[in-house]
Amino acid sequence: MAATVARTWEPNTIAQRAAAAATENLWVTAAYLIGSMIGVVAVLSLLGMVLIYVERKVAARFQCRLGPTRVGPFGLLQTLADTLKLVFKEDFVPEMADKFLHMLAPFLALLVPVVLLALLPYSPSMQVADLNIGILFVTAIGGFGVMGILIAGWASNNKWSMIGAMRAGAQIISYELSATLALLVVVLFSGTMSLSGIVQSQQDGWWIWRGHAAGFCAFMLYLIASTAELNRTPFDIPEGESELTAGFHTEYSGLRFAFFFLAEFINMFTVSALTATLFLGGWMPFHIGDWAALNSQMDLIPPIIWFGAKTSAVIFIIMWFRWTFPRLRVDQLMHLEWKILLPIGFANLLLASIIVLINAYPFPLELPQ
Amino acid sequence: MGMIQATQIVNEERPIAGKTVSVSVVQRLRPPTRFQVALLGMQGLLQGMWLTLTYFWSPVEVVTREYPENRDSLKITERFRGNLRFKFPNEVAHQTHSALLEQIAQETQTHPEVAENWIRDEDDTRWYHNCTGCSKCEEACPNASIRILTRHGEILDDREIDRFVWRLDSCMFCNACVLACPWDAIEMTGGFENAVFDRRLLVYSLNRLAAPRINLIQDEQDPAVRARMIDWRSRYGGPIPLGGTGLPNLPAIGAPKVQECPVSHAGSTAVAP
Ligand code: SF4
Ligand code: SF4
Repeated sequence: MAATVARTWEPNTIAQRAAAAATENLWVTAAYLIGSMIGVVAVLSLLGMVLIYVERKVAARFQCRLGPTRVGPFGLLQTLADTLKLVFKEDFVPEMADKFLHMLAPFLALLVPVVLLALLPYSPSMQVADLNIGILFVTAIGGFGVMGILIAGWASNNKWSMIGAMRAGAQIISYELSATLALLVVVLFSGTMSLSGIVQSQQDGWWIWRGHAAGFCAFMLYLIASTAELNRTPFDIPEGESELTAGFHTEYSGLRFAFFFLAEFINMFTVSALTATLFLGGWMPFHIGDWAALNSQMDLIPPIIWFGAKTSAVIFIIMWFRWTFPRLRVDQLMHLEWKILLPIGFANLLLASIIVLINAYPFPLELPQ
Repeated sequence: MGMIQATQIVNEERPIAGKTVSVSVVQRLRPPTRFQVALLGMQGLLQGMWLTLTYFWSPVEVVTREYPENRDSLKITERFRGNLRFKFPNEVAHQTHSALLEQIAQETQTHPEVAENWIRDEDDTRWYHNCTGCSKCEEACPNASIRILTRHGEILDDREIDRFVWRLDSCMFCNACVLACPWDAIEMTGGFENAVFDRRLLVYSLNRLAAPRINLIQDEQDPAVRARMIDWRSRYGGPIPLGGTGLPNLPAIGAPKVQECPVSHAGSTAVAP
């Protein structure tokens, strides 16, 4: 492997390859499409299981417990067993529920992370589609995620579900603002909205440190806001067990409940992957400006490993939050967003635009003319 | 923040009601500003994260007990409230008995407490108990899980316990009965392995002897009279079949299968020998 040779980080997405093949052979295109569909399903289920297992183990370690140990070596098959159990459980729909919407909601909830999975650049040659409006698309789709939850709460015809869904709606819509403000900072820095373009713009250094305080601040903002969008503790008021039984998925059971569960964990992955892509350089190895010696050493590690490591680190941080912090009350949650995070977000955006204006960051970017 | 530190206290003289009195004054703290509150909060969050990280890195103590494997080394805390049990003050002298129980339980593949039914200790002194049959525990039980059946003791011409019937299936281990007992006759133990295949097995009597209190027996010097004071009571059997007493639609263990009408507990009376 001639890894030390200067790499071209030219992205080559599956969509591009399929489009290129379309002119010659439709079968190859079909193969690409079917292949990526199977890939998405495989990645989904595998990711879900791995993440749930990891979450349980990590949670256990944080609380001085052992976590699953019985099923399979180190309890590795525990999630599989749980999945099987969920698959065989009765799929119960309440009598007075809106049957169609009740059925639809879990799919809507799962749709969002699945679509986002297709946008993520895993490595230069592994990305399903690279949209030139990537960030815009991500925010639009991310905001759509609340539909599944709202519909679930509405269709269940249960006051707890309804309250949980309403809370989720309020929370997600509020925190969407901060998250978008943080994303805008990165868009400012890199001058592009395409996700792989953003990764490439970090060739000289990741935005988290290259953007001075603004980069770091945006990173923190995005981390907090996206944790809130994930409905995870400390922002888990939509499904507060103590006051709302299980919130919007109270009335769900069996496979449909599993869908919500899966959506939650895949969401966690996509959010972490996005954080890694935007602030930590995605698949881009750790580079510092023109330090060729360091850069070429870092290039030895394949991009997919860089991507995986960064994403896992962010996932770990999110789990760490969950098992450390106390929950927020509803009003505190709104207070945090509207009175603290949002002003900080605006100020941060201003700061970032000044930095970009005077091109103040180390190793200034040569914007394509 | 809320604590008063010694440096805040100032001794001074103050005129109070025309006299000069020396007083200690605690100076008022300025309430923290919002910024300070935010900083403190941040510090708290970071401290918490550091703590959980140290746990993650090296747990102080893994609290998970891997139960069936560590059954022998299982530590049950003193205050654990498991099965209710009679206190047998003479028990200490009879360690061999529990060894015997273990042996029988292993040979017959049964629960040690079930095996208790199968042996009749030759030496009855082991089973002397403190209970007088005063029914205080029965009154104290919020779940009506205790039924005290008394009898009239011929020798002492007084009331004594016949059967102490405990319903494990409806007990909530609240300890009220233990606290209520004026004679310190019962206790909560660490036993919790109660799984059985027949729920009727969950109703059984705790005492082994229908007998007066331990000191009343031991005051009696004549062994022959002593022997007449006591009657053996097994865990399930006896003059009144206990297993499943009062369970709807279930004949008691050992009772003939009859179409029975629901019998209330209050219906059964003390049994005279
Ligand atoms: S522990 Fe409570 S519920 Fe159980 S027998 Fe005693 S008083 Fe009744
Ligand atoms: S156990 Fe105690 S309270 Fe209950 S009948 Fe016996 S002496 Fe009375």
